[in-house]
Amino acid sequence: MKSHRLALLGGTAAFAKMLPVGQLYFPSWDRYEAAMRGIFERRYYTNQGPLVQQLEARLQEFLDVKHVICVTNATIGLMMAAEALGLSGKVVLPSFTFIASAQSLSWTGIEPVFCDVNPSTHQIDIDKIDALLDDQVTGIMGVNLWGGASDPLALESFAYDRDLKLYFDSAHAFGCEVNHKKIAGFGSLEVFSFHATKILSATEGGCLCTNDVMLAAKLRNIRSSYGAGRPVPVVKTSNGRMSEAQAAIALMSLDDFPENQKKNAMLFCKYEERLKNIPGIKLVKPAGVTFSNYQYLVCEVDENIFGLSRDSLIAVLKAENVNARRYFYPGVHRSAGYKNSIRGLIDDLPVTESLCASCIQLPIGAMVDCDSVDMICEIIDKCQRSAGLLKSFFAEHGE
Amino acid sequence: MPLSQKKMVNVAVFSKNLVRDLACLGGSRFFAEPKSTSSLGQPNFGRFLRYSEQFFKQQHYTNNGVLVNQLEERLAEFHGTHFCVAFCSGFWGLVLTMASLALKRKSEVVMPSLTYRRMADIAAWTRLKPNFCEVDSGTLAMSRQTVNDCINSETALIVAVHPIVNCCDIEGIVSLGKERGIPVLFDSVESVYETVSAGKVGIFGDAECFSMHASKLLNGFEGGYVTTNNVELARRLTSLRTYGFEGQDNCVIPGGLNAKLNEIHAAMALANLDELEQLVIDNCRRYRSYQAGLVNVPGIRLLEFNETTKTSFKNIVVELLDDWPLMRDETVAVLNAENVLARAYYSPPLHQKKMGYSYVPATLEVTDYLAQRFMLLPCGDFVTCDDIGKIIQLLKFIQSHGAEIARCLTEMKAK
Repeated sequence: MKSHRLALLGGTAAFAKMLPVGQLYFPSWDRYEAAMRGIFERRYYTNQGPLVQQLEARLQEFLDVKHVICVTNATIGLMMAAEALGLSGKVVLPSFTFIASAQSLSWTGIEPVFCDVNPSTHQIDIDKIDALLDDQVTGIMGVNLWGGASDPLALESFAYDRDLKLYFDSAHAFGCEVNHKKIAGFGSLEVFSFHATKILSATEGGCLCTNDVMLAAKLRNIRSSYGAGRPVPVVKTSNGRMSEAQAAIALMSLDDFPENQKKNAMLFCKYEERLKNIPGIKLVKPAGVTFSNYQYLVCEVDENIFGLSRDSLIAVLKAENVNARRYFYPGVHRSAGYKNSIRGLIDDLPVTESLCASCIQLPIGAMVDCDSVDMICEIIDKCQRSAGLLKSFFAEHGE
Repeated sequence: MPLSQKKMVNVAVFSKNLVRDLACLGGSRFFAEPKSTSSLGQPNFGRFLRYSEQFFKQQHYTNNGVLVNQLEERLAEFHGTHFCVAFCSGFWGLVLTMASLALKRKSEVVMPSLTYRRMADIAAWTRLKPNFCEVDSGTLAMSRQTVNDCINSETALIVAVHPIVNCCDIEGIVSLGKERGIPVLFDSVESVYETVSAGKVGIFGDAECFSMHASKLLNGFEGGYVTTNNVELARRLTSLRTYGFEGQDNCVIPGGLNAKLNEIHAAMALANLDELEQLVIDNCRRYRSYQAGLVNVPGIRLLEFNETTKTSFKNIVVELLDDWPLMRDETVAVLNAENVLARAYYSPPLHQKKMGYSYVPATLEVTDYLAQRFMLLPCGDFVTCDDIGKIIQLLKFIQSHGAEIARCLTEMKAK
């Protein structure tokens, strides 16, 4: 490969179009057209239509779980979950997670209690939960991060011993396996995201999984389900329905799952091979799983070794049209609604603080091929080698 | 010869001669396909695909997509407001707008009881207590007076909901809100196309909320939107529907969630918006058929649209008068069995339902009375004038055989 001159230093951007992070797999136009034509012929647009029913049945089989309830997005799914589980008071969740995990609790009148995470896996640090428990804590929301898992078996026995409800935000974990068993049936329920950036896409969407028949009936009523079983009493309902258009996209995406997972795995390996020799860059491998969807490519940047800060590296990549992201940033505990809520929060979450300052998310998914991975890694390598030069550039121009 | 055989309906195509021919009593269904009260507007498929191509080319399926932006611009223009913010549903659009507009440290929201069955749940998600107001018996709508009766020192917000046919007292409620210093949010889900003397629905109060559910005038699969002239509110809602973010990594407003509309739903709504005038023309034709036919059915009164200004002619609501031979719920059951998916009009009213959250208990005699008397008849893109002719024949049959049907239904229940 011809050596690339960094765009920030006067070269041409490596990519003609901005390369996004996020999976963004989508069916071909022909498949899209055929699926939409089918909906137009049936003239059934929403309210638990035939495609949503089909999707729920196929997901039940794929995930080996008794009940799947499809929803319009995972955040509303998590809100429905807290509502159906009858949680109150406080719920413990990891602090290194997307803000929606905490917001779903706030919307149901529950105070989130943030627990720090393990520095190598980025998953919740179970050893730190006990110190956070008081008589107001009614549950734990586990979060399965980065195509890995938060040791659901250990969390199950931990929650059982303390008589706490346990459920999972598995937005990142569709198709992943723990001890060769699909993530979906751990705890009381699990919530997946089918947002376009996830391996299974419904453009927007998600689903709740449970083996508990009563909980499933409650969730269906809270979602509003039009004929899917007899409604059971709930405190309040919502609109969490998935449309036929969303279900059509998800069904095609489910067909493509094996192929897309393979492509992700191949790209992940390529990144791994290329990044392992760059000082100061640590690729985060999916933890605690026997099978991963590899839907995220996350690295930690050690500024002292790499020579440049994480934010400087992002600035260089953006100039090359690589939309690398700080993720999660600024961290839930520093976001609107939470940052002033608990005294001493930041001191209590040193690992999360450090990860929020050092993690970078790189492109993996539909828009990326092996050559783009090579190019991205070459840019990162060049950054490390030209750290001194770039540092003076940033000193002069800012990030 | 039994009485019922003598009373044959004198229309050749009508297939029911005897009371036992009714589907609820063992006969075959009058319609092979269900005839619902949903609009189910379907645009030209090519038009829908052409919109779809735009997001497809950009491989951008959600999050501030090209079509959501177009749709918001078009709808702001349609209603004549500065801003429109689209949501994944009217439900969450209402929740976020109520939460944004409610006066701080006040606990109650005034809303009608004779309305959408999830309206009190919507209030509960915002942790506001519903204070149910009475409606006017002539218009079925809340009025300045009925709202005023519910205002107290705890009132945080007025949610002014338009009834299914025609509008509530817009000017009266807006001026009341101004006088009492209480924000007014219109729920205009059933009034997308309506105009009143003061202007087009969409421009009134602090904001107005609409639905793009498939059953509504503007079908976007699922979806909703809010119109407003308040720049701060529009910015706030745009941020709240995306977790409170304003740009990358910048979460600035607490209380957000995901209420984004996706691009396929926006494509559907845009294509249907292009064809809205034709849908209204078709609705008018359907309404005229009902108008002409129902005149000849004793005991039923069609709720008429106010035609002095623009209206969508979408919903067909009838009152079952004192001389109608069956109870309203019996009538609905008889019709449903025939695949005529008539529905009770907002029944039971909200204040009569069990609520697991805080509310202000209410005694609403007018609402209770009205909630027993009205029903919706099939309408929308699926229903032809021919279908309407048949529905009217069916209603005539029910009316003329009412006593016998009632007896058979009672016998069946007893068994």
